[in-house]
Amino acid sequence: MSSSDLNAPAPVLVNLQLNGEATSVAVPPHWTLLELLRYGLGQTGTKQGCDKGDCGTCTVRIDGEPQLACLTLAVDVRDRSVETIEGLGTGGEPHPLQEAFARLGAAQCGFCTPGMLMSATAYVDDLTLQDNPQVKRDDIAAALAGNLCRCTGYTKILDAVEEVAHSVLNRQRELAESTAEDE
Amino acid sequence: MLRLSPFTLHQPKTLDEATQLLAQHAPDVRVISGGTDLLPNMKLAQTKVTHLVSAKFLEELHGIERTETHVRIGAATGLKTLAEDPDVLELLPALAYAASRIASPQIRNMGTLGGNISLDTRCRYINQSELWREALGGCLKSHGTECHVVPGGQGCVAALSADTVPSLIAYGAVVELASDKGLRRAPVSELFQQDGTWHVRIAREELLVAVEIPIPSPQTRVAYRKWAVRQSIDFPLVSVAVRLDVADGVLAGGSVVVGALGPRPRVLTLERLVGSTLDEKLAQALGQMVYDRARPLPNIPYDAEYRRERMVVEVRRAVRSLVGLPERPLTPQA
Amino acid sequence: MTAAIKPENASQGRPYAVVGARHGKPDSLDALAGLAKYTDDIALPRMLHAKILRSPHAHARILSIDTSAAEALEGVYAVVVGEEMPTRYGVIPWTPDEQALAADKVRYVGDAVAAVAAISEDVALAACKRIVVAYEVLEPLTTPEAALANPQNKIHESNKHGNITKQVQLAFGDVDGQLAAADLVIEGHYEFHGSTHGALEPHCSLAHVDGRGLLTVWSATQVPHYLHRELAKVLEIPTHKIRVIQPAVGGGFGGKSEPFDLEFVAAKLAMKTGRPVKCLYTREEVFLAHRGRHPFDMHYRTGFTKDGKILAVDGKSVLDGGAYSSFGLVTTYYSGQLLGSPYVFGSYRFDSTRVYTNKPACGPKRGHGSVQPRFAIEVQLDKAARALKIDPIELRRRNFIGENTKTINEFHIGSNGFLECLALVETASDWKAKHAKLPRGRGLGVAGSTYISGTNYCIYPTDLPQSGVQICLDRSGRVRVFAGTSDIGQGSSTMLAVVAAEELGVHLDDVRVVAADSDLCPVDLGSYSSRVTLMAGNACLNAARDLAGKVRQAVAKKWGCEKRDVILADRRAQRLDDPGVWLDITEAFILAEIEFGTMGSTGSYQTPREDVHGEYRGGTIGASPAYSFTAHIAEVSVDEETGEVRVENIWCAHDCGRALSPVLVEGQIEGSVYMGFGETIMEHHHVMPSGLKTDGQRRDTGPGKEGLLAHSSLLDYRMPTTLDTPDLHAGIVEKPDPRGPFGAKEAGEGPLHSVVPAICNAIFDACGVRVDALPVTPAKILAGLRAQRTGGV
Ligand SMILES: Cc1cc2nc3c(=O)[nH]c(=O)nc-3n(C[C@H](O)[C@H](O)[C@H](O)COP(=O)(O)OP(=O)(O)OC[C@H]3O[C@@H](n4cnc5c(N)ncnc54)[C@H](O)[C@@H]3O)c2cc1C
Ligand code: SF4
Ligand code: FES
Ligand code: FES
Repeated sequence: MSSSDLNAPAPVLVNLQLNGEATSVAVPPHWTLLELLRYGLGQTGTKQGCDKGDCGTCTVRIDGEPQLACLTLAVDVRDRSVETIEGLGTGGEPHPLQEAFARLGAAQCGFCTPGMLMSATAYVDDLTLQDNPQVKRDDIAAALAGNLCRCTGYTKILDAVEEVAHSVLNRQRELAESTAEDE
Repeated sequence: MLRLSPFTLHQPKTLDEATQLLAQHAPDVRVISGGTDLLPNMKLAQTKVTHLVSAKFLEELHGIERTETHVRIGAATGLKTLAEDPDVLELLPALAYAASRIASPQIRNMGTLGGNISLDTRCRYINQSELWREALGGCLKSHGTECHVVPGGQGCVAALSADTVPSLIAYGAVVELASDKGLRRAPVSELFQQDGTWHVRIAREELLVAVEIPIPSPQTRVAYRKWAVRQSIDFPLVSVAVRLDVADGVLAGGSVVVGALGPRPRVLTLERLVGSTLDEKLAQALGQMVYDRARPLPNIPYDAEYRRERMVVEVRRAVRSLVGLPERPLTPQA
Repeated sequence: MTAAIKPENASQGRPYAVVGARHGKPDSLDALAGLAKYTDDIALPRMLHAKILRSPHAHARILSIDTSAAEALEGVYAVVVGEEMPTRYGVIPWTPDEQALAADKVRYVGDAVAAVAAISEDVALAACKRIVVAYEVLEPLTTPEAALANPQNKIHESNKHGNITKQVQLAFGDVDGQLAAADLVIEGHYEFHGSTHGALEPHCSLAHVDGRGLLTVWSATQVPHYLHRELAKVLEIPTHKIRVIQPAVGGGFGGKSEPFDLEFVAAKLAMKTGRPVKCLYTREEVFLAHRGRHPFDMHYRTGFTKDGKILAVDGKSVLDGGAYSSFGLVTTYYSGQLLGSPYVFGSYRFDSTRVYTNKPACGPKRGHGSVQPRFAIEVQLDKAARALKIDPIELRRRNFIGENTKTINEFHIGSNGFLECLALVETASDWKAKHAKLPRGRGLGVAGSTYISGTNYCIYPTDLPQSGVQICLDRSGRVRVFAGTSDIGQGSSTMLAVVAAEELGVHLDDVRVVAADSDLCPVDLGSYSSRVTLMAGNACLNAARDLAGKVRQAVAKKWGCEKRDVILADRRAQRLDDPGVWLDITEAFILAEIEFGTMGSTGSYQTPREDVHGEYRGGTIGASPAYSFTAHIAEVSVDEETGEVRVENIWCAHDCGRALSPVLVEGQIEGSVYMGFGETIMEHHHVMPSGLKTDGQRRDTGPGKEGLLAHSSLLDYRMPTTLDTPDLHAGIVEKPDPRGPFGAKEAGEGPLHSVVPAICNAIFDACGVRVDALPVTPAKILAGLRAQRTGGV
């Protein structure tokens, strides 16, 4: 975190879609997206565990893809869409993954959780776009293989994602069947 | 948090603009593509420059194109795209596999082929904080005068660690480079030099535009194998590509390309073995060949002796996978 | 697939409404929404940022420090050096050998020397670079052998015995006689390497002095109470002028269980500048702060009868302590004291020596001090079972210590579900069909262990309670619990809510827990030694029972019945003999408030005063109100061409007394097993140059390299990813202990211990190779296989 300082070039204006909202912010060019989110915009839901790409704690979705905020220059998200944990669901209306994580005890200290959820939502969303989606625990593990968790041994995280993936696909199938019937 | 020291980021829209910016600011400039190698190195003050030229908005650097004879891959093509592209999977499966084994899902969504080829060399004495390197007293690649990997050595032998490079060489890939003086081409096999401080023969003024890979004939088989302690995130500790050219059911040529040694990959050709049958004996022979002629150094953070043994096993397994043998032998090997 | 495993005779019905139900952590929704505030998520107006200048030398005397150039830099508000905080401290009051910032000497690469508060981290870092420190470099001692061989080169001048920080020698029974009489003596040398906690949240601290002069410190700590005391001591201000708040913490595992330089630095700089000051560690600083698992060098002799009874255990250990004492005095005791169950030892002797070295200090990592000797003894047992041709599980059964008994070192064992744990993993893993019967390259191994549920004595001498809880009921039917407990992710706040909800007849969601704020909450000593469930749980139970009694009494008065005829459950007050008669709990709370006034109560916990320790010097350390028990079976496959070990499955059954929250207990088991697996196979907190023996790494001998951390990032310190982690099967065994709340003991640390030897024993079963020096590496397996072929060991 830093103010503009030490001969830093002037801040530049960046327009982005942050959790669906058009956001304009002036940011020093040497700031990462992680700094912008946490210290520039007060969106502290995205966490920092290493600040150099090793842990996945800072994962956000940029144009839908899970990426690392600590290795993304803030100016590089100009005109792009950034989704963070703050956009995922609210206390009153949690995202199904948030609900499952809570119920199944998939978040212990909760520090890896925002990043983990960003990778997990991307996995589930991708699944819904596939022609013949299959939920496989190995695929879930692969999708989360860039997010370290030190508390859970991953077991309950995989359980939660697996459960939600199944229920999302089931709902999608039911929907498809009912629209097929309607036609 | 780790700090990036201030720099100016240029975001050119055309190749001309980009090469002019590079020429104007060289040597105090770097291309930034995915940034997944450059930014950590800058955060550790291992790389210090005040100008960055972004490759993001340069159309020529994006996309995968298949022609009759070649696959052309833009330097800014993402690793995930590379790993999943149907043409690459079909024609260059070892390259797709190599890309799929790089780092983590998030980093594959960010990192690019060009960045991977130009990935800085790695060493346990350099990929460290400033405090650490100061405590060490520096080395040839930072502010010191001594190499700690080869005491008394005159040059830096930090390891080329790019996962895609061995298979690119095995496939006979050529890179296209642009500068304000024009375009030039160079085979990937000649792109690297024995100097870990700057191991790619790409001038600071140059921009990697694309990689062209000849479509291998059906007689050519290539496999890439990587070993690291973890299944994800880790850089390769062993990195080998094996190419077997086959004619009439016997070996007609090929190569073994070994990365993660020093700054340059080791390319061993298989002329001496032409005519060999495609069997376990060949696997053993190639294993012995790399054992004799390629030696991992204690540069990257893992026991070098073991890496040497492991390299041999990975070569054998690559061969087995290419000649249709089970990867693991049924009886333990000596 | 992973699946929880269940005892065959698992009870169907539950006697409780909330206790034992499958719930998550109600407060985790906050973290899941990104709303939980960890220390670095807090920003205060006018906040400054602090950075710490660290030593590049492993061992050096500080001759002078010139901070003038740093102070002159624009944006710098204050600089602080060690002389300004001269008081020595240490989490163990008997061994105060640390200073907030080193004043006389630096003792490891990374020791803190000075700190700067500035407008930004950039400026603070630039200022640190301008501080000129003159050092007289001393010879670094980076191995215990070197430190012992050079007693004149003292790392701490004031230390009595050279570089020995602590030596413990205890003997129970006639060890030499029994060894001589034994049918079989197994002798083994074992090495346990260093590993670190790896909590994903880097340490962070924020301090602020308000208008009244109250210093508030927010910190990522798991011991807010000890931090409070040490801040007062070092800053020389009374505790009532300090408020310590522990915000959400992103994991601890023992790595945040004592005060660290950044807390003193932030506080001192806030006092100097009159502004809030935050200090956030980089990941490398977390590795330097360390306090992780001590490397142990162990020599064990164990005597057996021919039917497998343990006649004698004789252990000698050298502990590599690093630069400071930390919890080392306790670690040294634990290295022997916690071995006395679950097996009967006919006689027992241990001799443990902890040594200072010029490396990051070691301390308590999950399973503090007892994971290492557990590894040695469980491998010893496996070797004995092979030699005696007794099934390894059977051998353990034959030595079972039993319930309501005493260990040879005089610790009182209450409930003990060890046999049930063994049975559960034996069945779940299909042990009988698989052990010693799988094709070569695949194998199973078993091991067992025990752990404490808190210690009978506080770290500092006191007769005060170990834990206090205060509960208020309010008119909306809510319950508020105030507790000094430190939730670091393990779920202590949920545990309190479960206890309160059970007693007061409300739902889990109706309980708000306010924890770890020294201005709001009574004292709890902190999250260490697996003490919280038993101690704070009991305190909470006491407070809740008191209130529940009053509520029942008020309702009984209204109904004209006896208090004992009223029960509280499921948000109702209900007549025991007539379920049709009930009141909403809110009304019941209101009745009680009318009857008794504002509804509040306190509860506290002090360890029972009978049976609290052994009657010998040191007999207090390791004595616990109750002990948990664990059994592990690991299944591995060994690739004999590469030497690589793949751990396929780990079954772990753990007797936690009573699972107040089974989901959370499983989570603790899975997390513990994961952590033990990681340190067995891939993690190494490795300081150069002591690599040869343990890592198969090249010995780095250059003068500049001694004392440098080889793996100081989350890239090089390899913690397992999803793809590396075996399938973990957690099983809960419940043997309620009368000393725990509802019978609960502990689950946070016990389930780590025996995973390490279980894996090593499985490797032997798979390929006949013993790895007695950790970590397990493919090179060691290959070396073992080679020795096998050439007729070696
Ligand atoms: C935790 C972690 C794990 C990793 N694991 C692996 C791994 O397993 N295998 C592996 O190979 N890599 C790994 N990497 C490194 C890196 O992510 C990849 O190599 C990636 O492909 C780099 O691409 P990039 O686009 O991000 O490169 P950048 O960081 O943008 O650039 C890297 C270098 O290439 C130069 N460069 C980039 N594009 C061009 C161009 N068009 N013309 C000229 N020069 C250019 C840059 O100037 C810079 O010097 C890892 C990184 C991290 C942080
Ligand atoms: S190989 Fe030698 S010179 Fe190069 S980075 Fe490593 S220690 Fe430095
Ligand atoms: S904080 Fe970005 S990967 Fe660790
Ligand atoms: S829940 Fe703590 S790191 Fe994942």
